[in-house]
Amino acid sequence: MRFEKLKKILMMLIAGVAATACSTTPTPPPAKPAATPAPQMVEKPVTPAAAANMANNCFACHGPNGVSPGSIPSLHTLTANNIAEMLKAFKSGQRPSTVMGRHAKGYTNTEIEAISSHIASLNKK
Amino acid sequence: MSKITRRDFIKLTGAGAATLALGSLGYSTAARAANGPRVVVVGGGFGGATCAKYLRRADQNIQVTLVEPNTKFITCPFSNYVIGGMRNIESITHTYDALRSKHGVTVMHDTVTAIDAAGKKVTLKSGKTLPYDRLVVSPGIDFKWTAISGYSEQAASVMPHAWKAGAQTTLLRQKLEAMKDGGLVVMVAPPNPFRCPPGPYERASIIAHYLKQHKPKSKIIILDPKDAFSKQGLFMAGWEKLYPGMIEWVPGSKGGEVVSVNTKTMVVEGKLDKYKAAVVNVIPPQTAGTIALKSGLADDKGWCPVDPKTFESKLHPGIHVIGDASIAGALPKSGFAANSEAKIAASAIVAMFRGEGVADASYVNTCYSLLSPNYGISVAGVYRVTDKGIVEIGGGVSPKDATAGFREDEAKYATGWYASITADTWG
Repeated sequence: MRFEKLKKILMMLIAGVAATACSTTPTPPPAKPAATPAPQMVEKPVTPAAAANMANNCFACHGPNGVSPGSIPSLHTLTANNIAEMLKAFKSGQRPSTVMGRHAKGYTNTEIEAISSHIASLNKK
Repeated sequence: MSKITRRDFIKLTGAGAATLALGSLGYSTAARAANGPRVVVVGGGFGGATCAKYLRRADQNIQVTLVEPNTKFITCPFSNYVIGGMRNIESITHTYDALRSKHGVTVMHDTVTAIDAAGKKVTLKSGKTLPYDRLVVSPGIDFKWTAISGYSEQAASVMPHAWKAGAQTTLLRQKLEAMKDGGLVVMVAPPNPFRCPPGPYERASIIAHYLKQHKPKSKIIILDPKDAFSKQGLFMAGWEKLYPGMIEWVPGSKGGEVVSVNTKTMVVEGKLDKYKAAVVNVIPPQTAGTIALKSGLADDKGWCPVDPKTFESKLHPGIHVIGDASIAGALPKSGFAANSEAKIAASAIVAMFRGEGVADASYVNTCYSLLSPNYGISVAGVYRVTDKGIVEIGGGVSPKDATAGFREDEAKYATGWYASITADTWG
């Protein structure tokens, strides 16, 4: 778990660099981190097409365009913020889940935000 | 090929007219696509149907023809519940109506008999030829019929495989129903790699669920050439809890590999022991679907090497192989993975037609298994492409010591998943 904590701190630091709206004083990246997160888990920008690729996977469980025909919650009524906040809470474990915590850990916060925006943008079409 | 893109089309006709044309009228979308790039999709399962739909969803300018011999598709997912008597076969049967009417896919019920990769065309059983700009091959699996002595396509009418859903599913159900209380059920599990890694073990669970209620003196023996299987800890703990003493798993190291079967005597011969069974379910060793082997898309082991970012064949450029037939790194051979691969292939094909760069791929898999109608477990994974191919970067199995409520929720979500993915694929 120590590694998890370190990873979290590291990601927060990196997220600080990537964030454009929230951070006032840009934090320089750690010179030589003791533990490097998997290259896929480093915060980096996500293109709209890559976000669509990630979001399309959600529909296998949450239904076409997030409209679920069964017992799994729909996504189409949620805002981008709703979805992103929930995914982050699943990822941290703050919000209990059966399977979503396991999924959410596979995405950086930047990716979570891009996925959420993409799904929310579909609903307004 | 016409160079008119959707954007140009909107420019040419004005946004208002485009909106009308994009309406639900099938003929307008079909007419508009008449000069667009052509994609032929071979196979209408989770991979093929999803790819056809997502190609049209991304760009209505693309002409998509899906070739599938069957007019209805019966899914392997949830077929174990038909075998266990919890569902009927109609509830796992899907049509191609929505692909035609809602998404403007041309669906042809025919069989591709040959692929001409150099000439970019496929030949159909009916004698027709279909030219393509890109081909998507999603043929699923076929069996190595001669791998187990005594087993064959004919033998499957006595010892069903039920690993392609349909008549075989119903047959296995009938054999279980006809069995006397106390009869032995022998399941022959396949070696890796095979379609649906948790499937044989879910099947044993659901058969046990049926036997416990109707034939409590009966037992199930799983003969397995492997020494480990998917979600093994969760399955075995569940069996102990729900069906104590009813399911015996014989791993390869304990003689689980099957040497021969005899359909007359109903004897299954393992490496160490012989078993006289009342019902035998042989899940044979597998390869990519025959058309992939015949077309030179498979390697010497019988599976198709592909570019992990696009699922384009490494052996025949211009052809994408998706689903169970492909070698997809850490992704399992599941309907979910096929659906995920199909979307990435569709997105890559659209980008290639437009001359744009292919966006980063991201894959997901979630496989639910029911041990009883209210006891579900799952494995989930998020996958990315690295220099090692497709690797899992997040995920895992359900917790070992979850509450009964957690297992019940996962059983409920399993059913929800089925409703969603079949709507995402065929709806």
